[in-house]
Amino acid sequence: MSKIPVTVLTGYLGAGKTTLLNRILTEHHGKRYAVVVNEFGEVGIDNDLVVNADEEVFEMNNGCICCTVRGDLIRILGGLMKRKGQLDGILIETTGLADPAPVAQTFFVDDDVRQKTRLDSIVTVVDAKHLDLRLADSHEAAEQVAFADVILLNKVDLMSPAELAAVEKRIRAINPTATIHRTERCGIDLDAVLDRSAFDLQRILAVEPNFLTEDDHEHDDDIKSICLTTRQLLDGDQFVDWFQRLVAQRGVDLLRSKGILEFAGHDRRFVVQAVHMLMEGDFTGPWRSADDRYSRLVFIGRNLDEAALRAGFEACIKA
Amino acid sequence: MATDDRRNALLDKIGIVWALGTFVVAAAFDRASNHLALAGGDGAIRLAPVKPVQDVPAVLPVHAAHAGAVLSLVPDCRAGAFISGGDDGTIRRIAADGTIATVAMFAARWVDHLMAGPGVYAAGIGREIAVLDPAGQRDPLLFPLPSSAGGIALDPKGKRVAASHYGGVTLRWTAGGEQAPRSLGWRGSHLATSWSPDGRFIVTAMQENALHSWRVADGKDMRMSGYPVKVQSMSWFAKGRYLATSGSDRIVVWPFAGKDGPTGKPPLEMGHGLEGFVTRVAAHPVHDIVAAGYEDGAVILCQMGRNETLLVKRPGDGPVSALAWSPDGHHLAIGTEDGFAAVLSAADWRTN
Repeated sequence: MSKIPVTVLTGYLGAGKTTLLNRILTEHHGKRYAVVVNEFGEVGIDNDLVVNADEEVFEMNNGCICCTVRGDLIRILGGLMKRKGQLDGILIETTGLADPAPVAQTFFVDDDVRQKTRLDSIVTVVDAKHLDLRLADSHEAAEQVAFADVILLNKVDLMSPAELAAVEKRIRAINPTATIHRTERCGIDLDAVLDRSAFDLQRILAVEPNFLTEDDHEHDDDIKSICLTTRQLLDGDQFVDWFQRLVAQRGVDLLRSKGILEFAGHDRRFVVQAVHMLMEGDFTGPWRSADDRYSRLVFIGRNLDEAALRAGFEACIKA
Repeated sequence: MATDDRRNALLDKIGIVWALGTFVVAAAFDRASNHLALAGGDGAIRLAPVKPVQDVPAVLPVHAAHAGAVLSLVPDCRAGAFISGGDDGTIRRIAADGTIATVAMFAARWVDHLMAGPGVYAAGIGREIAVLDPAGQRDPLLFPLPSSAGGIALDPKGKRVAASHYGGVTLRWTAGGEQAPRSLGWRGSHLATSWSPDGRFIVTAMQENALHSWRVADGKDMRMSGYPVKVQSMSWFAKGRYLATSGSDRIVVWPFAGKDGPTGKPPLEMGHGLEGFVTRVAAHPVHDIVAAGYEDGAVILCQMGRNETLLVKRPGDGPVSALAWSPDGHHLAIGTEDGFAAVLSAADWRTN
């Protein structure tokens, strides 16, 4: 059974989320989308498939303190599934102040949601002109950038090339794996936003972070990324054990983790991803090329101890 | 154990089958056991007379009841009618002849939990309980909830309503007037809710693959865990002595006969494990027989105290999403997510 793709739209107030939403709903792409908006939506949207969400975040009783989910989304997605065959996709708009984690975690935790829908990608609309300010005055703005698979760097017409380069550099320091598009009034081909399969293990790290450059930290952002690589073979059991322990112990600070690994004794790539403490991993297809055949791991989070992470990773190298 | 497709299914011998072309959200018989209603994800309700069997139509009349999907459907408190809730925010009454009337409207909200009791309707609508007068003489009563309703239940007399939500259950008197809510608390998200037919217990299905139950008299609670998946469906039988539940590969039955309910007692299991999990259960209104629908589309019947399982429907047609007995126990209705629907009729369902 094909699962309905769900796209999560995040972005600070005024960044242009509603503009993008309206474009998706009004352009003649021949597809039917249901839209889940928050109660305090900025602009009314004219569509019979608009659902108001209550943004009810709750903790799961599974002993995992950071494992929060959106109860209202479980209910709404369950209801929308009754329109099976009448929907091509679902868009979830979050409030400007929302942490994207509970939305993403809902897709890992709830069996029914997992069975019938798939989280396609998290799209974050960023106001290029005001990103520095936003990052300074709210931790949510950084979280939205950190969680993104696709970033629309909007309102670029108000910026000089040098300013834009600086903003992109700052985004890259937080999130080296997102696809960044420069837009004016969210003018972008919708194929670049919808149906990205960004959470599909097959597509993890489709955007390769630049593993080699040492980034100079002009801004001391709260959220950072760390990229680790090795061309030596890893011990599979040891890696999985280390990674599981790491996300269990440090999951509060680890927002997103993604990796493609080469295990000794296996021809296929092993792929992992995690949102805070929730992780999944599996052997996926063959390596694309000999050149591509090496292990890489990206962590996006707070208070990351690069030396400890590197030591833990390198300890998994097959002796 | 793998499902044996070569076995005869009861539907090969008796029963009428329809292809509705839409998700079957719910099936219900009216209180006189004369009419079947099937609620669709397309917003329509399909009606069929079920007596006599030879008059059941091969093609069902389609009545457009809601603008979006139908989310809930139950028999009206009076015979010959049903009430339904939709994602268009309306509650409608549909008579056996297809006449539709609007009972209430809640703009931009979903009516996903609906009950009809003696002289009262109750609905869970977002963060509110709505209590409605079927005669339309009294204005709706609205009671706030701490978070969105996950389920709704009425006590057997229709005097009290229970709504589940995050953190437990809230009870209210349906008569209105000055009253404080009574809260039954337990940490976690509470979904489907059921009130035992003897009025003694309230049971909720939780997000965490477990049930929680409270004794109404004193609030003493108990937890029933061990399910591999979420419990979506519960059904009482033997006058409330047993509760059959979905959420496992067999029918899980909890004994509620004693003063303390199932506290300290293991559950019973009915049926042979088929592939996959039970999604819907429906207990026969007279005999100790439970029908179970599976996620692979199979439906079985089991009788308490007997080992054999009767295959009613073979796997296929999507997960079973609707299962209901008529109040007289003569008819069983089945619906699936892929639009399969059927009704089977028999004077006596006991296996000999």
